[in-house]
This record gives sequence, structure tokens and C-alpha cells, in this order.
Amino acid sequence: MEIVRNITTTTTTTRPLFISTNPSHVKLNQLTHLFTSSHFSTHRFPNLHYSSSGNHRVVEAVNVDKLRIALLHSSVVVSVFCKPSHSSENNNNNDMFSFGRELMERVVPVSESNGELVGFGRAVSDNGLTASIHDIVVLPWLQRMGIGRKIVQRILRVLVARDIYDIGALCSEKERLFFEACGFGDDILGSTAMMYTRAPPALSHYNSQDVKHAGRMLLLVPQSRQDLSSSTTND
Amino acid sequence: MITLSYSPLYCSTRNFQLPNPSLFANLYGGLAVTKRYPLRAAASLWDSMRSSFLNNNTSQLIEPLPDEEEEVPQEIVLVEKTQPDGTIEQLMFSSGGDVDVYDLQALCDKVGWPRRPPSKVAAALKNSYMVATLHSIRKSPDAEGNDQKELIGMARATSDHAFNATIWDVIVDPSYQGQGLGKALVEQLIRALLRRDIGNISLFADSKVVDFYKNLGFEPDPEGIKGMFWYPRY
Repeated sequence: MEIVRNITTTTTTTRPLFISTNPSHVKLNQLTHLFTSSHFSTHRFPNLHYSSSGNHRVVEAVNVDKLRIALLHSSVVVSVFCKPSHSSENNNNNDMFSFGRELMERVVPVSESNGELVGFGRAVSDNGLTASIHDIVVLPWLQRMGIGRKIVQRILRVLVARDIYDIGALCSEKERLFFEACGFGDDILGSTAMMYTRAPPALSHYNSQDVKHAGRMLLLVPQSRQDLSSSTTND
Repeated sequence: MITLSYSPLYCSTRNFQLPNPSLFANLYGGLAVTKRYPLRAAASLWDSMRSSFLNNNTSQLIEPLPDEEEEVPQEIVLVEKTQPDGTIEQLMFSSGGDVDVYDLQALCDKVGWPRRPPSKVAAALKNSYMVATLHSIRKSPDAEGNDQKELIGMARATSDHAFNATIWDVIVDPSYQGQGLGKALVEQLIRALLRRDIGNISLFADSKVVDFYKNLGFEPDPEGIKGMFWYPRY
């Protein structure tokens, strides 16, 4: 029996976690808050602005409508909840009920309704052959505690239960070590990951239909092919 | 040794009459999220879970959105050739995605790809975001009406319909290669994806075809982004 306990010993208090694979447990406002707090962008090449205080760069906010669509079409959605800490709010008045209150807070287990969303991950699959893992996010101050790995392991378990073993992930340099620790490696067939990055030629005039923005990248939309049967035929 | 304990936390809310799993979680003080079922019940439970997972699990996720526009599948004739004996051969591109799994298997054999279980291939095709196909249609000159239709190329893309897409299985019949057909297939996929504002288009290319995709506008390992695959260790 695998009990999800807080794995670390760095924090003084142990905090129970609740992992869920139910997509309806994820509330969009919590998710966007998590993305913003973790400086995470859904674009591979995000736009970076300077924060209002000017001392660090923040990513642009995620498009909520697209995020909702993405969640609907993701085969696996994993969310991790944790009880919010009340250390700053503890009124240390030793009244009659504080003991009862604290006891209730400790005894009532964490769930998606009373917990704070601290981790998230999802996978997109064709439910037959392949799957790819995206958007593994954990709050920065709760990182390096094994939560991310738990998320990936849960995703893997659900995919393996569906008989999908060809599971890939696109990762930047910083994420490579994380995925290696989760059991990912370079492709045995030696394939190269490639992304579409063709930009329109500089100094060209283009209308909005021919280019698309993806974060800070500008992508050129290929021309549509002519239908020969509809064009006037010679002979 | 792996102990696989399958927790149907997600599917139980729809398919089964299991008690609410969070109740179990709460019994263990909110810590446990996996649970073992008694072994005697495991077999039938596993069967029902398995059939549920195989039964197009995504249908539970996708709720029809009234405002999501559906792209009308296009059919475009790319090439039209007249043979010496009068038969007209048309190469027709289609994004409708009606592919016979056994036609595809025959095509994969021609190219030298390993065979994959047909049920899995059928499920993969059904759940792909877009399947682009090329058929060769031979029309006999005497207008008899019996056209011969043959699958000569295919490419498919999976996506979450919003941010990311991956292109898989780009295949063209060897006797039709070298004419720009593969390029047309992939370009049509990219066009359809970008029109829906899906910006992260990726694929995994064998070393022999990296140049083919470079020519199409793909960049290998852009800004250090690499692809990694899972290797189960037992």
C-alpha cells in the first residue's frame, strides 16, 4: 500500500498531500494562479515582461479559454492538493475552542475542496499508441520534495493501465534532469525532437491569416494547396 | 518488483458503482490515495476497468462545446495525370481521416515499418486531432464508374486542441515518393493546426528524415528543447 506522505525532511511540519486524477477537481482559477506563482507558461517560447517592480521577468498570463479546452482534451489530468498553512493567522488566544479547532484542522483530511492546488500535470494521448506529457508544475517553494515525481508517476501509471507505453515529453535543459530522474531517457531509436519555428521572411508584408503568434515566436502558416479539380482544366 | 495497484479515482465517478474514493482516502486520514482491492474481486474489477479504458475514455472528457467550430474536412485534388491508355489518375488529399486500418498496414509494410496491433492503430486514428490522407484514384476512360482508390500516404497529429500538437506517422508509398507529396501532407497539417492557434507543433524525426523536416520549417532541438521517452525499469 502506497501512502503518499510528505517525502521531505527539510520542512519542520509534515504536510499531507492529496493526489487526484479527476479532471473536475481542477478549478481554472486555482490553476492559473499556480501557473503564475510558478512562472510557468504553456508556450514553449514565452513572452517575458518585466514585473512591475522591475527586478525580475515574469511570463505572460495563460489564456484561460485555451486552458479549459486543453484540459478537456487531455487524456490524463493530475492535480496535487495540500492544506494551506495557517501559521500567520494563528491567533494564540487560548480560548476554550482553540484546541477543538486545531484538532479539527488536523484531523479533517485534505481534499480538493479544502486544499490548495500545489501541483499539476497532464498528458495528451491518442489512447492507442502514443502519449506526451505536458505542463508539470509545482509551486516553487514546494519543489525538490518529490511532488513532481509523484505527479509523473501517477500519469505513467494511468497510461500504462491503458496499455500505452510510448510516452514522450518535450523538455528544456532545466527539465531534463527531472525527467531523467523519473525514468525518461533519449529515444532508443535515435530520433530527434523538432519543432515548427518557421517565421515569415523579414520585411515582408503579411496579413494576419498568414502568421500566428506562439509566445514570442512568429510562425508562418503554409499556403493552402490549390484544388486542381476546381481550377479550369485545359485540353 | 512492481506492484501495480490501480486506483480508479477518475473513472469511478462515471462508470462504476464504487463508493466515493475520497471516502476511502479520508478513512486513511487523507494520506492514502491508492487502495488495494481484495484479490478475489480484482479480476472482475480489472476487466471492467479495462473495458472502460479501452472504450474511448476520452468521451468522458470531451463535452460538446457549442462555440467550438468544427473544421469541415476538405478534399483537394493535388495532382491529376492522364495515362497513355486514357485512365485518369488523381491524387486526392483528404483531411476527413477515413483510413482503413488494413490499408494502412499494407502501406506500412511497403515502407518497411513494423506492424502494430490493428485495434490500437484504429483507436489511435480515431482519437487523433487530424488525420491527413492521400489517395490515388484511377478513373477508367470509359466512364464505367468503377474507380480504384488506393491509400498512398498518411500523416496524423495528436493535440490537446489548444497549445501542443505532435505529428506522428508521416508515410508515403515508395513509388510515389519524391514528388512533394509528403511535404504537402505535413504542410496541410501545420496549416490546420496553426489556424486553430495551436502554436507548439513538434515531432520526433528519425535521423534520415531530419533534413526533410528542416526543409519544412522544423528546427531540431530548438533552444535546447529535447524529446525524452519513458523506459520502464522492472
